[in-house]
Amino acid sequence: MPAGPPEVTTSEPALHVIGVDREFDLRGERVRALDHVSVEAPVGTFISLIGPSGCGKSTLLRLLAGLDVPDSGTIDLAGETPEALRRAGRLGVAFQDPALLPWRSVRRNIALPFQVLKRPVDHARIEALIELVGLAGFEEARPGQLSGGMRQRVAIARALATEPDVLLLDEPFGALDEILRKQMNIELQRIWLDRRPTTVFVTHAIEEAVFLADTVFVMSPRPGRIAEKVTVPFTRPRHPDLVRTADFHAIADHVSSVLFSGSVG
Amino acid sequence: MAKPALAVAAPPVAARPADVRRRPARPGRVEGARRALVTAVTVGALWELVGRLKLVGDGAFPALSAIATRWWQDRADYPPHIAATVRAASLGFAFGVAIAVLAGVAFATWPTLERLMRGVGITLFAVPLIALVPVLILAFSGTKPRVILAALAVYYPTMISTVIGLREIDPRLPDVIRVSGGDDRAVMRYVRLRSAVPSVLAGMRMAAPAALLGAILAEFGGGVRWGLGSYLLASLGQARPARLWGIGLVATAIAASAYGIFSWLGARVTRANLSATLATNATPAVLESGPKRPLWQRAAFSIASVLVVLGLWAGVLRLLHMSPVVAKSPLGVVRYLATGARGANARHRLLTALRQTLPLGFLGLVAGLAAAFVLAVTFKLRPSLGRAVFPFALVTQTMPLAALTPLVVLVFGRDVLATTVVCLSVTFFPSFVIISQALSATSPKADDVIRAYGGSPWASMRFVGLPAAVPALLTAARLATPRALLGVMIAEYLATGNGLGFLLSQSRGLLDYGMIWTVAATSVTVAIILTQFVGLLERRVTRVAGNGTS
Repeated sequence: MPAGPPEVTTSEPALHVIGVDREFDLRGERVRALDHVSVEAPVGTFISLIGPSGCGKSTLLRLLAGLDVPDSGTIDLAGETPEALRRAGRLGVAFQDPALLPWRSVRRNIALPFQVLKRPVDHARIEALIELVGLAGFEEARPGQLSGGMRQRVAIARALATEPDVLLLDEPFGALDEILRKQMNIELQRIWLDRRPTTVFVTHAIEEAVFLADTVFVMSPRPGRIAEKVTVPFTRPRHPDLVRTADFHAIADHVSSVLFSGSVG
Repeated sequence: MAKPALAVAAPPVAARPADVRRRPARPGRVEGARRALVTAVTVGALWELVGRLKLVGDGAFPALSAIATRWWQDRADYPPHIAATVRAASLGFAFGVAIAVLAGVAFATWPTLERLMRGVGITLFAVPLIALVPVLILAFSGTKPRVILAALAVYYPTMISTVIGLREIDPRLPDVIRVSGGDDRAVMRYVRLRSAVPSVLAGMRMAAPAALLGAILAEFGGGVRWGLGSYLLASLGQARPARLWGIGLVATAIAASAYGIFSWLGARVTRANLSATLATNATPAVLESGPKRPLWQRAAFSIASVLVVLGLWAGVLRLLHMSPVVAKSPLGVVRYLATGARGANARHRLLTALRQTLPLGFLGLVAGLAAAFVLAVTFKLRPSLGRAVFPFALVTQTMPLAALTPLVVLVFGRDVLATTVVCLSVTFFPSFVIISQALSATSPKADDVIRAYGGSPWASMRFVGLPAAVPALLTAARLATPRALLGVMIAEYLATGNGLGFLLSQSRGLLDYGMIWTVAATSVTVAIILTQFVGLLERRVTRVAGNGTS
């Protein structure tokens, strides 16, 4: 089996976004998607980005993934630029849509990052991941033969394939129904605890943002800004019943009040 | 660590119906085959009756049984002819597809290259292949003209579907490759190439009958002993209707089976390519046209792409070390037309021929399109009728034009009517298929909306069907225009004794090299202008109708 989780040895941020701006041209109009956004996450922590539609959280995630570049400001991921990090295979991303290659089996979809990076495929790692995400027995199934939840598990396994230092999750369960979503969140915590990559989780659901994260960054729209940074103190692993405790409600309500206040300093 | 032990304990895929998506069953398939059979039998019986009673063309339309008898008597003649044609067509197909796919990959990689080579693509799309036959025979010997013409016929449909296949990919997948550390080349390798396979196969499906057409047309140029084209030409001279029909049906069967093989392959691959989740949040990145470029830049590219075509023409001649007396360069053609009394005479003959060819082509095209439109709409309103006829139309559109023309000439004589009928029949079937597909691709939900308001099938046709069918009609017109011109020219070349086609065959006989090249260049130019014009119209209408076929 793979080695145990690495110790959280330092509070040095593995992810450091400082004063990032990003504007887009939308039918001749300049739209400010991100306005001086700063976010940081220490090594081995889990942060959530939450906000209403149009607050720029997906834009921020694309910047973190190196799929887009900021107009100004800096992004530092584990001491590298996003571009360098993904070229080194140290970045894992799962999108809202699983975006699997439809002609590849589960096993070969998870092997894709190795091939793209021109590395030998680590078969043992792939088998371990398939087991970790609970897809044993479905190794040879095509995406078309799987349910929505199963496809998302494949996408998460693929994101974890190269043992990334930074994991980006863009509403990975956004398309699933409420019940399945809760189950997947508990699964995600279990999977994440296996290696504890520094993780950014984008969502617009308060409960899952708080349940999973060490820190919740609440964003406000037009222009996209960080409205508040909320620390979540609960120890891990967190039990599903946590969401029914008063402490949890207190934090969730606070996040909610920031989200709905609309007043940003 | 090998396969985990869990794999044994886990239930097999099919045993978890709740978790597993199944392909929907297709009960319509058997039914469709039955209908097709009924149609085939009905058509066959009608044919037999018409032939027996000599209702059409005074025996030029023989009964099926007469054709079969003749075919049986001729059976020893066929193998060498079939072998020669199929060999040349296959070779040309292989070369053409290889070049087209490589070109497609290059174009998808370097868009500037595509813009420069666009003129070549348009030329090969629009060129009436028959115009190239004498030129090819001047330049090459033996089986080469056949192979080259087949390859030229194959290039455009394969190239364009390769480019489309490589570009119209699931827009989410490049992101997946990029975040995994890949660059554009990795996207090409892991996503684009594999995604394009169904589209390339669809292109090859269109290309396979085209290769056969190219090979047969080149055989019309004469000089070869074996080949279905030579056999057709000889039988046309002997006035043996039943034999002519036999050859035509054999050629159609070969083309249809090639079409069928690639259809089948395509259907298999497409199933594997279908994404499990449809891209809901994004439409496919259709032809990344990018921001609209300034006018001068577009004009510069247009001029450059014309120069590329002319340059290729001149360059190939130089490469082949052909005598300028026999092989005219673009400048040679201009000089031929411009100098002295001979030039004036040539210009006069050319214009006369154009005046004969173009009205007939236009008439046939309009008739073919109109018939296709009316029938497609009728069949949409009476679906059971359409389902019966559609497979028949699908097969008929693969019928090689070169085999069809002598038959029409035989039945309708050697005058204007024959030319118009050739033109009509070559434009009708493909247009019917395109328009029918557009009609059946309309959203059933839109139909439901009309029905929910108490609308009749006719209302549904008016509000949902026709808006989709009109852009499709123009698409069909664009695709049919070169076919119409080719149809007219083949009829003229073989039979009618006027127009561009006749001028071509006459010049060949007279060794009037200047005129051979002039006719080739003129017919290509005319075809390009016409298709570009229809294309412009198509884009206008499609824009107004707002992506009618979606």
